[in-house]
Amino acid sequence: MVPIVKISNLDKFFGRLHVLKNISLEVEQRQVVCLIGRSGSGKSTLLRCINFLEEPSHGTIEVDGIKVDGGEKGAYHRQLVHDVRLKTGMVFQEFNLFPHKSVLENVIEGPVIVKGMDKKKAIELGEENLDRVGLLFKKDEYPNRLSGGQKQRVAIARALTMEPRVMLFDEPTSALDPELIGEVLNVMKKVATEGMTMIVVTHEMGFAREVADRVLVMGDGELIEDAKPADLFNNPQDPRTKALIDRYRTGEQ
Amino acid sequence: MNLFKKGTDEQKSQADLLFEAQQRKQNLFRTQVALSWVFLLLFLLFLFSGLEIKSGEGVTSLSAWSFHIITQNNRQVREKIEKPLASFPFGLPNEGLDLKTIVVDGEFIKENIDFVAEGIIQTIRISILSILLAMLLALFAALGRLSSNPFIYALSTFYVSLIRGTPLYLQIFFFFLALPQLNIVLTGLWAGVLALGLNYGAYMSETFRAGLASVGKGQREAAIALGMTPAQTMRRIVLPQALRFAIPPMGNDFIAMTKDSALVSATGFVHELMWRAQKVGRAEFRNMEALVMAAIFYWIMTLLLTSLQSRLETRLSKGDR
Ligand SMILES: Nc1ncnc2c1ncn2[C@@H]1O[C@H](COP(=O)(O)OP(=O)(O)OP(=O)(O)O)[C@@H](O)[C@H]1O
Ligand SMILES: [Mg+2]
Repeated sequence: MVPIVKISNLDKFFGRLHVLKNISLEVEQRQVVCLIGRSGSGKSTLLRCINFLEEPSHGTIEVDGIKVDGGEKGAYHRQLVHDVRLKTGMVFQEFNLFPHKSVLENVIEGPVIVKGMDKKKAIELGEENLDRVGLLFKKDEYPNRLSGGQKQRVAIARALTMEPRVMLFDEPTSALDPELIGEVLNVMKKVATEGMTMIVVTHEMGFAREVADRVLVMGDGELIEDAKPADLFNNPQDPRTKALIDRYRTGEQ
Repeated sequence: MNLFKKGTDEQKSQADLLFEAQQRKQNLFRTQVALSWVFLLLFLLFLFSGLEIKSGEGVTSLSAWSFHIITQNNRQVREKIEKPLASFPFGLPNEGLDLKTIVVDGEFIKENIDFVAEGIIQTIRISILSILLAMLLALFAALGRLSSNPFIYALSTFYVSLIRGTPLYLQIFFFFLALPQLNIVLTGLWAGVLALGLNYGAYMSETFRAGLASVGKGQREAAIALGMTPAQTMRRIVLPQALRFAIPPMGNDFIAMTKDSALVSATGFVHELMWRAQKVGRAEFRNMEALVMAAIFYWIMTLLLTSLQSRLETRLSKGDR
């Protein structure tokens, strides 16, 4: 099977800081991949390189057949990056809903402005996705009237309404009060079972164990482990993975 | 269960009492402020009332001065005339006291108020044209400050520095008097609008810059991740939020500008409030009356604009954010 995301020999520098070191990775269609690792290990940077929120220094990103070399410039490169962004949806830790737009306006902004979709059709699609995350009844509210969990669910609906091939999540529950985490994880689970390809940076080990097909572990800018969740949690290979899992275990108790 | 309920009821009523007491205190303060305003206004009116109080040698008298038109040698002139109001059989000894407040020429005001009031239209016209120009310039200057192009960055900082480094009065004269030397002749109105617009644009660019800075990085990233171009991100996501942030301070600038537009009268060719007041005042040596008239018009305009602004602000804060 052709992988839907293929990262080859990816390097990323911030000034002199070597944050991603020669990373190669393939993600199959419909796979749910969780990315864990210590703070500062480069998880966010890797995720943000996939949709070019960070421009890779070297290496190639390929999403759904669109192959982009990192570190290039010019109109052709910008066009390729734009195409990749249309294939990917992103959900941020801080939600980043547009505060001056209602929930529905947030959700249809992308299709209407970026894809030039007919507004009526976009509203139909948007309402469908708001329904998917269980928030259709809030469509006329403004974001400041929503709880954190509701905001994140709207953000997921906003990304889904662009009909991406891959969804990227960067710690989607880390900014939430503990009692609101569950509703967001449930929506993510639902999106996963509906067949979406997902790459999720997370500290939610329960989610990783239950939903992920693969768990990747990052350490110091490298992928140090890539395994099925059961294998990884029961039999971690790298001492850094062991330390990570032990910390979560004690944290859970 | 019952006990618990009773407890919370008592607590609540105590909190209510405290709240009510606080409310009463605030209301009392507000009433006192309002009364003080009335007192200050009455005092100001008294200062310009033309009343005279004389007290001496056991008599106190109150009289009112005012101007009347009388015919003298076949010519109509205005004369100050005293009209006794009351007299009391007691008073201070000897020289005593003679308190006379300012006498305003009511006849003069009656004759000229229409002429001066017509200036309001011109004042508002200048202010609106200037604020529109200023907003446009401020926006470009603020965006220029964010530009990575060194020339554009330099241009916007240069503009702001030059304008802030020179007096508005000079700028107005520059456009009206200096430009004709270069064969560019602007009407007084356009010279004034250009000067005021350029000047306020430089100051307001700071407001716009703060507005743009108030929009978080995450907003741009969310827009970019959706596939928006930089221009779309700016127009659809960043600017609307930045402008909303900038509206209250821009209201203040507009109010300040309606008053600074008075400086344009110095060119002598824009017949706005201040110019008209000066013209009629000088003609009959009734500068005090003329300026008082203009002052009242400016004050009322400012009061109206301020209340409009606060209404706009509550409307804006209700929406979102
Ligand atoms: N824009 C940037 N400029 C400079 N350095 C950066 C930038 N973004 C990230 N870094 C650095 O790159 C390294 C990796 O950061 P990254 O955010 O990818 O880590 P992370 O694994 O997501 O950590 P966390 O769990 O704290 O989110 C860190 O050392 C960080 O300080
Ligand atoms: Mg991170």
